[in-house]
Amino acid sequence: MFGTYAIPLNLQNEGFSLLIEKEGGLFVYKREAGREKKEQVILGDKKRILINPVEPLNNPKDLSPYLDIEFKRILTIEPGSNRKVFLKFPLEMGVFLSDKKPFDVLDIFTLTKPKYTLYGNPRNGVICKYWESDIFSAPPPVEYYREGVMELTLTNTAKEWEEVSKAIFNAYGMKIYYNDKMVAMKAEMRVMNQSTAETAFLDSPLQNGMKKALELYVAKKIPIATAKFMMREGL
Amino acid sequence: MLNKVVWGKITFFHLLVAVVILLAAILITKILALYFRRFLKNRVSKDHLQLIIKIVSFTIYTIAILSAFAVLGLKLTGVLFGGAMAGIIIGFASQSIVGNFIAGIFLIIEKPIKIGDQVNIDDMTGFVEDIRIISTTIRTYDGLYVRIPNQTVFTTKMVNYVGNIVRRFDYMVGIRYSDDADKAIDIIKDVIEQHPFALKKPKSLVYVDNLGDNAVNIIVRIWAPVSEWYKLKQVMLWKIKVTLEQAGIEIAFPQRTLWFANELKSRSGESD
Repeated sequence: MFGTYAIPLNLQNEGFSLLIEKEGGLFVYKREAGREKKEQVILGDKKRILINPVEPLNNPKDLSPYLDIEFKRILTIEPGSNRKVFLKFPLEMGVFLSDKKPFDVLDIFTLTKPKYTLYGNPRNGVICKYWESDIFSAPPPVEYYREGVMELTLTNTAKEWEEVSKAIFNAYGMKIYYNDKMVAMKAEMRVMNQSTAETAFLDSPLQNGMKKALELYVAKKIPIATAKFMMREGL
Repeated sequence: MLNKVVWGKITFFHLLVAVVILLAAILITKILALYFRRFLKNRVSKDHLQLIIKIVSFTIYTIAILSAFAVLGLKLTGVLFGGAMAGIIIGFASQSIVGNFIAGIFLIIEKPIKIGDQVNIDDMTGFVEDIRIISTTIRTYDGLYVRIPNQTVFTTKMVNYVGNIVRRFDYMVGIRYSDDADKAIDIIKDVIEQHPFALKKPKSLVYVDNLGDNAVNIIVRIWAPVSEWYKLKQVMLWKIKVTLEQAGIEIAFPQRTLWFANELKSRSGESD
């Protein structure tokens, strides 16, 4: 389960294991996830680690701040309407060294298979992390460490029915919340016409009592210009 | 001592003040350059940062030189006239330098290349190290320092390998005529699907391109982010070859089938 743990640590879960043990006078961090392994020596006095879901942008490489969720079925939305749907999104897990702020990133890993795509054209488009999701009318069941649930509020401000097959997000603005059942977040998509829409994340939990995950760009001190994304190359 | 006349009405004191102004200008320029590098590092691109530093440095040096002239009592009109005359003479004597300078300005405005880009200019391929006002420097892949005049950069054919954010590479995979090409295509598509940097869109293409002399030739076209393109190209072909062979599909090699007009007699038959 996500949360704070004391060092030394031995976490065995389906799909991954985390171990922090003392070897001589040193603490050694060992992680296995699928075929991937990581081992790192920790020199320091921090006594706790924080395991949190983080923005799914870091594996296998921090290549793009954009997340493309392609819908398995095309969605058509009535003019002037405002509807809620649920999607699944990929998870990455961040391991942070913590006692008090600031948090230091020790490791980020995922159990999902990463894939990238291009949104737009090769000259002016953007590289996005790719994910495919079905559309649900209620929060779908998810694998806790692999996927999260996104509540997407779609607003069609155009005067015609519009088809939507994907949603591109600036994932640096993600506001991820979690409890012991699921990881979730809320987002909105304002459809302006057949090729333009604006997306953004909302800073509120999907269910009462959910805890807010540490935002990785805050931990990494990355300055963020905007957390919105304007889809101009088609929906 | 300080009032001692050095030349005309210029005293040693005037000379000292002029030197101090020039040294102060150098010091201020260095401090500002350091400040800009530290505070603008993550806010503007490397080439824009260089341009800002150059403009600021040039402005400070110009002000310092004009101030030093004023302290020395040199009339600016005379200096400007002299400068203009010198400019005309130097301009005629060095037309190519002026051409390179103007080309440099256009390069900075048009921005066909940036520092760090991988380019081919005038048959020189490598990384752009610096774009100066007169010339552009390139570090070739084998580590050579190449200085190319900006006029050449601007007027010759230039290829910027990282100008777009995605790039494609192609392979030709030849399989035996006895193998199932449809099965091979499915396997290759699956290998592409498994790799994160082989892009979902633009879609990869895999199809039988031609029926060669010795093999059924399957063409494979894969798109990748430009930063990952070369690394992906290095690994994918071998992955495809190994996976095909694991499925019993062999890469074809050249072979000839010979037909003889008459049945061949064996040596043992001849001796009989």
